Amino acid sequence: MTRFCLLQMFFILLCTMQISTLDCNIPPLQQSKAIQSSLHLLDKIGQAFPLQCRHEHVPFNFPRNILKLRQKDNVKVAVQEMLQSIFYTFSKNLTLAAWDGRSLESFQNGLYQQIEKLEACSLKKIEKKPQYLSDVKDNRLKLKKYFQRIDNFLKDKQYSLCSWEIIREEVRTCLQLIETVTKKYLYK
Amino acid sequence: MAAAGFLRGDCALALVALSLLAALGSGRCAGQMNLMIPQNVQVHIINTNITLKWDWNSWNNFSVTFSPQYQWLEDYEEDGTNWTELPGCENITVTKCDISSAVTDYLCNYSVRVRAERGEEKSPWSEPFIFVPNIIAEIGPPGVQLESVNGMVKVNISPPEANSKEKMWTQHSFSYNAIIWKKSSNAEPKNRAIYPRDIIHDLEPETTYCLKVQARLNSEAKRGYFSPEQCINTTRASNGLPCPTNVTVHALNMKFLLSWDNHYNNSVSFNVQYLSGFYKQFNEDYSNKWYVVPGCENISHTQCDFSDIGASGNYYIRVNATNGYNRSCSSKEIKVDPCVVNEIGPPSVKVNSGPKLLRIQITCPGEENKSMSECYELSYRIQYWENSSKPEVSNDVAQKSFHTISNLMPSRAYCLKIQAFAQVYNKSGQFSNVICTETLSDHMSPLVVLTTFLIAVVVVLVLAVVIILAIYLSYKKIKYVFFPSCKPPSNIEPFGGQLFSNLYISTSEEPAEKCCIIENTIQEDANPTNFKNYSNSKQSSRDSGNYSNDDDTSGSKVSEETLELRKHLKHDWEHN
Repeated sequence: MTRFCLLQMFFILLCTMQISTLDCNIPPLQQSKAIQSSLHLLDKIGQAFPLQCRHEHVPFNFPRNILKLRQKDNVKVAVQEMLQSIFYTFSKNLTLAAWDGRSLESFQNGLYQQIEKLEACSLKKIEKKPQYLSDVKDNRLKLKKYFQRIDNFLKDKQYSLCSWEIIREEVRTCLQLIETVTKKYLYK
Repeated sequence: MAAAGFLRGDCALALVALSLLAALGSGRCAGQMNLMIPQNVQVHIINTNITLKWDWNSWNNFSVTFSPQYQWLEDYEEDGTNWTELPGCENITVTKCDISSAVTDYLCNYSVRVRAERGEEKSPWSEPFIFVPNIIAEIGPPGVQLESVNGMVKVNISPPEANSKEKMWTQHSFSYNAIIWKKSSNAEPKNRAIYPRDIIHDLEPETTYCLKVQARLNSEAKRGYFSPEQCINTTRASNGLPCPTNVTVHALNMKFLLSWDNHYNNSVSFNVQYLSGFYKQFNEDYSNKWYVVPGCENISHTQCDFSDIGASGNYYIRVNATNGYNRSCSSKEIKVDPCVVNEIGPPSVKVNSGPKLLRIQITCPGEENKSMSECYELSYRIQYWENSSKPEVSNDVAQKSFHTISNLMPSRAYCLKIQAFAQVYNKSGQFSNVICTETLSDHMSPLVVLTTFLIAVVVVLVLAVVIILAIYLSYKKIKYVFFPSCKPPSNIEPFGGQLFSNLYISTSEEPAEKCCIIENTIQEDANPTNFKNYSNSKQSSRDSGNYSNDDDTSGSKVSEETLELRKHLKHDWEHN
């Protein structure tokens, strides 16, 4: 009981702090274009999903509700987190994936450019205020858990061809979600 | 026990109780409240090293031990698992404890609490401290290796927890920040972003430089601890081929040119290479990922067009020189962010004038280049003014390639120039040439009126002629088809010339009709003479079409006169 009392107080304290998240605006059109190009490259890096991998599929349960928030900034942070995790996932042991090297490179480079742009925004911010809204943290945690599931899956399957193909499908869904959310929330 | 009761109560009451306990100290409390509650329970995490700490006033509490406990929580709302002793932290006398072995899931909520014990005497539990390791963790110092090469310093950075089995930072790669200063000088230390495998240029030769590096997670606003200071002497540049210098990028309408200085005495050839930007993020060796720019291998001139490398995103570009055996060091690497580096050229403009307005057609600069539209959404800034002694410049913005400037004065000369701009990059292009043109007059000149009239007359005349011709032709056709002037040949005429005279219009004098009329006449003639045979005559009239048939079934009841007449007619018909 007491624990919850203090927790509430902690949240109230957090809320009363002056909070700013991403400071600058990446133009949504640009971001949406970049995501589209990433999606295109993701298609290009390999063939269609191999049928023999179908039975290995597991649900990763993407936390969809984090993209339904009203606050634009939270969505932006979530998008940044997702892009970073996707980039990091695709910089692991890819030898068994048997993908087209040049397209993969372009895909990684495109993602990294988007991350760099978003990071340039947050860099400006941390010079000023290192405080974050609690639900930003909460969402970040949910996303981290989601990508941890992906990470563990790849490890368990020893980065096999099928495991990579399944992750490619999963990442495609993620990018499509980002694209939708960019258009929906950030286009105004 | 009483205090414990308080703590389970209302929020405010609990706080009051806490502050009272803190203020009073153990001596003043009665009964079992001799032992104070450990205060300020906190968890400090650096990478995966997790330490639990708390405050304790030891001057009044000798031979006290502590037993912290932890609990794993799925969510804040839930009660979580049972409280468990922390392994290695039972009955300790110090006020901190390493709890890394118990806390292993860094993305989950944990709760920890501590109480003091002296023999059988136990203090109430402290307030639990709830934390998610990954959120409160701090980043440890990275590993740094320095190497002095050819007047430059090569830096190799290994990530903060490179050698540990457990990892806190598994989902993001770090960015690094270095602080560099010249040793034994009062120069300001310089802050700069640094990559895991980087080369620091622009250093003085034979000078000692010191630096320390910190890892950062920018998206989470986390800055790590600095690595210990390290110092290194720079060398003098070697006597071999020097690196190409003054490497610059010029880009206009997504045409990218790299140029550099040729300060070599002998003939040398140059190689230009590029690297996809994301490799810079990696700690691993990526030196084999530098690709040669097509068309810029072993070239003798000091310019390279690298528009066609087709890398998406940012990339780095560098040059080195070779003279047969020796290969120079590489030039400074230049980061190319295509959309940022590129300059926008002037648009091409066409102007049509109307009365009081100018219609402008703008063609996007570098239209033939697809990547231009991938980077920018261009708008156009139009400056226009009346071509007079005191021009007053007005501005207009066109979003599309067709634009009209209205509300101008008629019959005046106007001049304009246009530049494209990309708002996203805050980038303005070059202005087009100044184009001057005169707006049309408001009133129509007599010449225009006359011309218009003449054109109208000609059009009407032509139309009239065409209509008349059409009517005449169709009249002729109709006449030809329905009333042909030609006669059938004379040898056909006796056998029914009448039929041939008009094929399309039926005549009332067909032979069958004739026959029918005659039959009727017969009936009329016959009836007065044979009233009794009414039914028979009725049938005859019904069969009038078959009248000429030889087999007459009317039989013997027909009167003799009728038969006579019939014979006569039959003969007549055959004759005809």
